[in-house]
Amino acid sequence: MAEVSLRDVKKQFGEVAVIKGVDLDVADGEFCVFVGPSGCGKSTLLRMIAGLEEISSGELKIGGRDMTSVAPADRGVAMVFQSYALYPHMTVAQNIGFGLRMTGHPKAEIARRTKIAADMLQLDQLLARKPSQLSGGQRQRVAIGRAIVREPQVFLFDEPLSNLDAALRVQMRIEIGKLHQDLKATMIYVTHDQVEAMTMADKIVVLNAGVIEQVGSPLELYHRPGNLFVAGFIGSPKMNFIKATASPAPGGMIALTLPGGALLTVPAGAAKVTAGQLVTVGVRPEHLTVGGPADAILPAKLRLAEYLGSETMFYVQLADGSDFSVKADGLAKAAPGADLAIGVPAAACHVFDADGRAIINGDLTK
Amino acid sequence: MFPTPVQKAPAWVRIGYQILLPAALVLWLLPLLGVALTSIRPAGDLAAGNYFGVPSYFAGPENYTAVFRDSHIGQFILNSFKVTIPTVIGAVGLSCLTGFALSTYKFKANLWIFFLFVAGNFVPFQILMVPVRDLSVRTGLYDSVYGLMLFHTAFQTGFCTLFMRNFIKTLPFALIESARVEGVSEWKIFWHIVLPLMRPAIAALSVLIFTFVWNDYFWATVLVQGDHAMPVTAGLLSLKGRWVSAWQLVSAGSIVAALPPVAMFFLMQRHFIAGLTLGATKG
Repeated sequence: MAEVSLRDVKKQFGEVAVIKGVDLDVADGEFCVFVGPSGCGKSTLLRMIAGLEEISSGELKIGGRDMTSVAPADRGVAMVFQSYALYPHMTVAQNIGFGLRMTGHPKAEIARRTKIAADMLQLDQLLARKPSQLSGGQRQRVAIGRAIVREPQVFLFDEPLSNLDAALRVQMRIEIGKLHQDLKATMIYVTHDQVEAMTMADKIVVLNAGVIEQVGSPLELYHRPGNLFVAGFIGSPKMNFIKATASPAPGGMIALTLPGGALLTVPAGAAKVTAGQLVTVGVRPEHLTVGGPADAILPAKLRLAEYLGSETMFYVQLADGSDFSVKADGLAKAAPGADLAIGVPAAACHVFDADGRAIINGDLTK
Repeated sequence: MFPTPVQKAPAWVRIGYQILLPAALVLWLLPLLGVALTSIRPAGDLAAGNYFGVPSYFAGPENYTAVFRDSHIGQFILNSFKVTIPTVIGAVGLSCLTGFALSTYKFKANLWIFFLFVAGNFVPFQILMVPVRDLSVRTGLYDSVYGLMLFHTAFQTGFCTLFMRNFIKTLPFALIESARVEGVSEWKIFWHIVLPLMRPAIAALSVLIFTFVWNDYFWATVLVQGDHAMPVTAGLLSLKGRWVSAWQLVSAGSIVAALPPVAMFFLMQRHFIAGLTLGATKG
């Protein structure tokens, strides 16, 4: 079994605390993605699981065994680096088999495992080439092949697709997904690209400044973000936020007063507000409408329109000066400076209190 | 294009360049050309005072064979090889290890040990003359090839460590980390991954150290007395003492003594390659 568990794991670089107490469980066979802005500590956390960085305090278990102080080679992990880290003076076949050769595996065994990995990754025609003769995608596949032959319990990926162009990235994403299905191995994947996170993950861990903001499945994080940070990080384009005042309303509802005077009522659920409480309302650009009927209307002026063909992005300015983005149908058109009536559906609104915690999540099924 | 290429420069610059460059080249090589010319000049010319004119006949073979036949230059050259080659192997080999350790491992004394290696090179070697001679006499290494060789190895390792440590720092660290995760031991990482990538540095350093040690005159005179251990640099001096005015023989001997470092340089050419780490990493 290859489950990974972290208990109160902390990391200090001198005086600076980079990881400030992380508790996490990754189930056997799960594809877990660490996502977060630059500098949040996701690569450091991955390297701590790999054994390349020391864990300052806390406990790491892999497969139920304590690996906190165990050397990287004995942890049953294999790592794929962002920069590929291929040995440039060796052929692809030698690169893939290097670790096995150095640890005394018999030649026949090395050849067998290399062949399996090469077939899985379509590298069989490239085995005699050197890394400098390969394209970026091929190099990354060699790096993945090198990880596969070790038959590890856990695969660790450190932003492996960051150096590839957009088209190749999509292709490799699908390949890694297929690999996960074929190998059924536990995979921990670090990325700053939330599209990768959303498409590949069974479970997403959102990190910010060394702490976990939220853990959940992609759709859970999309529909029910637990705080402002997660709401603003997950989803592209970014969720819109406006300051509003909330007051309790009859019938288990909460009345939100939006800037410009528009009124919105949302079901309170378990949330309790005091009259006139300052809150932040979040609503995603794809849920807003332009023109037509809506639960609340925000008058806005168009500043910029982006026509993508499949959709149109309107960047508007509200009456109080704040910026909003609205995703409209691909055929929608408007001239800069035009007045637009932005429709806000109550079911899509998330409400966050002054500390940034979500008190109400939207429910699009209603 | 910067600076403006000569072909595109104004005419007076171009012509000035075409005249001055060969002139500067000849001026620069004048001492060497003078020695080479003297080495093929017959003794009669020198006695007659014909130092810079055209030699009366080509006395090359005559002078060069005389040098080898009538002096111990063969022995001196052999001694030079006996001192230089082990020094190159020792200094470069040791510095590969020290450079790797200092650039790869983080430990408290890392920077201090590194400074120790480098600082040793800043001591003027003239100050070391008496203490080192004293030490070699007391350890019985005075006037021997071993003594000279051991001293050079020790002295050159400082500079070599600086060179190698800085070179290894430029190699992608991810290669070493990747090997560590794969379970490769540190020695095997050094031997199989780092060393092959250091080829240009090893070649460059070998040529440098070979040249330094081969051309060393100071320590040859300080640490060695007899012909049995005398390298060719100091040996030439003894040549001058024996035949006071046999300049053509001294010149011939000098040319012969200068050849091995040049040969070494050309031999190492094929190892001076760039782009060894191409394909290893991206971004």
